[in-house]
Amino acid sequence: MGSEITNGEIVVSGLTKHYKQVKAVDGLSFTVKPGRVTGFLGPNGAGKTTTLRMLLNLVRPTAGTATIGGRRYADLADPMAGVGAVLEASSAHKGRTGRNHLRVICAAAGLPASRADEVLALVGLTPAANRKFKGYSLGMRQRLGIATAMIGDPQVLILDEPANGLDPEGIRWMRDFLQSLAAQGRTILVSSHLLSEMELLADDVVIIAAGKLVAQGSVGDIVGNMGDGGLVRVRTPKPDELIAALDSATVARQDDGALVVTGTTAAVVGEAALRAGVALHELVTERPDLERVFLELTAGKEAIR
Amino acid sequence: MKLIRSEFLKIRTTNVWWLFALGTVVLWGLSFLVNCVQAHYILHPEGVPDEQAATISAMGDPAALTAYMATSGQYFGLMFVLLLGILTVTNEFYHQTATTTFLATPHRTAVIVAKTAAAAIFGFLLWAVTTVLSVIGTVIFLNAENAEIALGDSSVIRSILLNLLAFALWGLIGVGFGVLIRSQIGATVTALILYLVGTLAVSIIVQLLSNWLDQDWIRELAWALPSNASGLLVSGVDLPDQPHYWVGGLVLLAWAAVTGVIGTLITRNRDIS
Repeated sequence: MGSEITNGEIVVSGLTKHYKQVKAVDGLSFTVKPGRVTGFLGPNGAGKTTTLRMLLNLVRPTAGTATIGGRRYADLADPMAGVGAVLEASSAHKGRTGRNHLRVICAAAGLPASRADEVLALVGLTPAANRKFKGYSLGMRQRLGIATAMIGDPQVLILDEPANGLDPEGIRWMRDFLQSLAAQGRTILVSSHLLSEMELLADDVVIIAAGKLVAQGSVGDIVGNMGDGGLVRVRTPKPDELIAALDSATVARQDDGALVVTGTTAAVVGEAALRAGVALHELVTERPDLERVFLELTAGKEAIR
Repeated sequence: MKLIRSEFLKIRTTNVWWLFALGTVVLWGLSFLVNCVQAHYILHPEGVPDEQAATISAMGDPAALTAYMATSGQYFGLMFVLLLGILTVTNEFYHQTATTTFLATPHRTAVIVAKTAAAAIFGFLLWAVTTVLSVIGTVIFLNAENAEIALGDSSVIRSILLNLLAFALWGLIGVGFGVLIRSQIGATVTALILYLVGTLAVSIIVQLLSNWLDQDWIRELAWALPSNASGLLVSGVDLPDQPHYWVGGLVLLAWAAVTGVIGTLITRNRDIS
């Protein structure tokens, strides 16, 4: 890879950005480890984009530091080889072809124009290489953004909401692509508000709200720690009799007729049903998911400040 | 160097360069025709009022006339270089490519320098095209008028080369202007109005003020406009009612330096979002 960054760890320390009225980012600290996909989560307006832009020397921090492999972005001798970033879906001149867009960046990075064709192939855009950017679909634009970021074969990849506008196939492609890059030992930091997607994609998560850190850790830890015991979903033609048999547990009826039992296990519910002679049509243990944990963690933190 | 290549590639890979080149050639044609008519009257002065006679006779000097003709099309050529300089900056914000550009090159001063160089190269190409056309046209026209052609005269060669300097410096002025007004439409419209209407308006205002207050020096203020200074820079010989040609050069350099420095400082500190 020939990159000057050998250990692509991202360290954000006390990062702060004040605009006139708003503390967009407020004393934020976290680390992002190489070899893993890290999801950067937060409600809209939490300060995700501002944080990423400060990390990349595009926005000046009011206080604090952000380093990649121990250096500030502006101090990297060859930034394209160290870090690739995708920040806006539509960041190309409308009248320029995809290939020429990439060639412009190749020239700025001192790379041969042939590298443009390589990254086009990498993201599957070769058939559209000579089409103008205004004719690209949202999914093609996202792919071109990733191709742009991959020009320098970077050790660290930073993506802001890359799943926006992708169809299911595109999202699957993105997931496989990012996970294979992480498996090569690269650092992948992906911001998103799509939690179900993040649960499939990320190894670690950093959750922020109102410009502050709320939680950081592996997806398993975060979900495991925050889950409030098990939830059991059960469906039966005789709900009243089952509720009577489950006297010690909290039961909630759902609109579709199913019951949600809190604070117990599927085994206990099944045995209670057997004793009461009630037939069960469905019996599922529901694990708390990232979305519920996320909503719990960020509840009460105003998204619009 | 790689940045200049990148910036020039940006110009080359959109339609703007050939549209502007086409516009320059068309407007050069119009300017040259107007200049031919004017040159014809200068060569055949009849019924000229006395107070203008000295000027007309100075302009009829072979070197002055050849320089005047050979730098035809400067006014509109500079306008297109100005617009291109503006677009190299405002395009980055209009098409949201500033992020990509500054990610590839976090050293923003280097980006501004490269943009200026790319705009200057474009200016050089427009200068080359208009100069070749003008020189050919001038030879044909002056031959037809049986007038002396002074292309080899040092003051004519000086005018043609200084015209190149003007074409290059206007790229820098455009880049600085584009930084100041980030909006694509805002910057281009403002620049066009200032260039086309502003030049005329200031000239008229200065003239009126000068007559009203009876102070001749006020009239000289018009030379502080970069467009007037550019014209002054390429005049072959000193005319009675004009400052020396190099005054135009100094004015132009001052404008380019101020817009360049202010533009660079703003770009260095601006949040890109």
